[in-house]
Amino acid sequence: MKVPLANRPWLTLGIGLALAAVVPWIASDFVASVALSCLMYIALATSWSLFCGATRYLSLATSAFFGLGAYSSASLLEVLPWPLVILSGAAVACVIAVVMGAAVLHLRGTYFAVLTFGMTELIRHAVTFVEKQVSGTVGRVLAVVPSNETVYLTVLAIAGAAIATAIAVKRSRFGLALAGIGADEQRAQTLGVDTRRYKIAGFALTAAFAGAVGAAMAVRWTYIEPAAVFSPFIGFQTVLIALIGGAASIGGPVVAAIVFSLLAETLRLQLPYGYMMVLGLLLILCVMYLPNGLASLWQRKTAALRGNGHD
Amino acid sequence: MSLTGWAELLAGGLITGGIYALVAIGLNLQYGLMRIMNISHGEFLMLGAFLTWWAHTTWGISPLVFLPVAFAVLMLIGMAVHWLCFRQVAARAPNVDVFEARSLMVGFGLMFFVQNTALLIWGGDLRGYEYLAEPVQVADMRFTANKLVLFGIALALSLALIALLKLTLLGKAVRALMQSPIGAQLVGINTKRLHPLMFGIGLGLSGVAGALLSMTYEISPSMGEPYTVTALIVITLGGFGSIAGSLVGGLLLGVVEALGMYFTSPSLKMLLSYAVFIGVLIWRPNGLFSR
Repeated sequence: MKVPLANRPWLTLGIGLALAAVVPWIASDFVASVALSCLMYIALATSWSLFCGATRYLSLATSAFFGLGAYSSASLLEVLPWPLVILSGAAVACVIAVVMGAAVLHLRGTYFAVLTFGMTELIRHAVTFVEKQVSGTVGRVLAVVPSNETVYLTVLAIAGAAIATAIAVKRSRFGLALAGIGADEQRAQTLGVDTRRYKIAGFALTAAFAGAVGAAMAVRWTYIEPAAVFSPFIGFQTVLIALIGGAASIGGPVVAAIVFSLLAETLRLQLPYGYMMVLGLLLILCVMYLPNGLASLWQRKTAALRGNGHD
Repeated sequence: MSLTGWAELLAGGLITGGIYALVAIGLNLQYGLMRIMNISHGEFLMLGAFLTWWAHTTWGISPLVFLPVAFAVLMLIGMAVHWLCFRQVAARAPNVDVFEARSLMVGFGLMFFVQNTALLIWGGDLRGYEYLAEPVQVADMRFTANKLVLFGIALALSLALIALLKLTLLGKAVRALMQSPIGAQLVGINTKRLHPLMFGIGLGLSGVAGALLSMTYEISPSMGEPYTVTALIVITLGGFGSIAGSLVGGLLLGVVEALGMYFTSPSLKMLLSYAVFIGVLIWRPNGLFSR
């Protein structure tokens, strides 16, 4: 069953979106909020692996873009119509990503990971400082917010767009270039790929989705502060989901996002520390024993079915 | 500002810098030698601090007497962690780049695990105890005694480690391994024994730093992460793999932070550290003192 569906990604995506779209009208509030958090992490993890999975640049800056989106949403919510708020969240994150990418994307590996983490903290502290000095507050209260259904459908649309973009990019020249950078950057350069431009474009694309998600989710919280929206936890969980799912695939992160959101929403309230301990252990075990993610489980099966047992 | 004021400011910076150096040297041993960017390093500092606090408040053991115990316990934990996790990651990774990325993720996992285990056991409150808290007059400057002890021990340990690496056969083996892992193995250096040992020593140093910190500052389960970040900044300043660089970098960062905080505001402390860090990584990714 999985194999034919995996071969028709657009159909699968369409069915999935249609099913997910009716959730807020038929399910309880709790289920709807779990579904919303699923969608949020689907959008974040899919867009993360779009760039970071293909190029193997480990970015920890997702929380920075998420937070930037949330803050632009908070400050523009009362002056702009809702769709433009989301777009401006994406645009702000995108612009920052281009600047950040131009500065740091020449570094690889650990340097890049650590630097993106540092940049996130820098942005968080900078926003905190500006808020304290200029606005004289630490957090912001969002008074007029769109209805829950609107927020849900918006995040659903963003998640759908992220998956659609991931599918489209994977089959395009752009996707090939990104994969080429991941396999061997120097060779890609020699073959005429302008790696610098492609990397910045990919990084900005990832950031735009994270910014849009941040902008949409900000209104759900009604009160936002830097410590919450720039929480490194959002970035870590995104990376974790993408890696556990298998960052090189599209289905893997989606499945992992659903599993993790369910786990998080049910366990986190009762056992916050226990949940984080389990998360840490899972991450370690996954890196040790399943380094290519859950996706490698069914990819191996597919390959075996086709009779060319790779691995 | 008077001359004494300046001297006090600089000395205060150096004292903080001594701790930074000690933590950073531990991290640098792990990264320089094994390419393990151990992002959970600060969590083990926190463990060291809590063990010391616990021993002092429950059994009344003097923190100074407990220092070697903290080192030994953390060293054993470090060797166990290396044996359980990193050894296997290294065995499965096809090349060094992949190993670095994977061990970074294992580090994040350890960070979550250790920090939340501590939260579960001790709760999130700030804790502390009084030890050697009376002020001491040095020239015209005044410090609490525990800060001077802290600085002395941190500096002595750092220098001792540098001497160990420079003067002994073990140190020679470690330096050889840093220069060329394959070459070192060819001349008969046993990486299987050296790697866990050095990983353990790195965590042990972090534990000692935590024990020292618990004498002067209040401790909490979330205290580790800022020190990890600071240690990252320091080893970037001093250069990956350079122990002497870490010592100088640590002291330098302590002074820069002290001056920066004095002239701007304490709330800018982290902003300053990150700005220094990002600036150095972008302009001199191999460290300030690299040739």
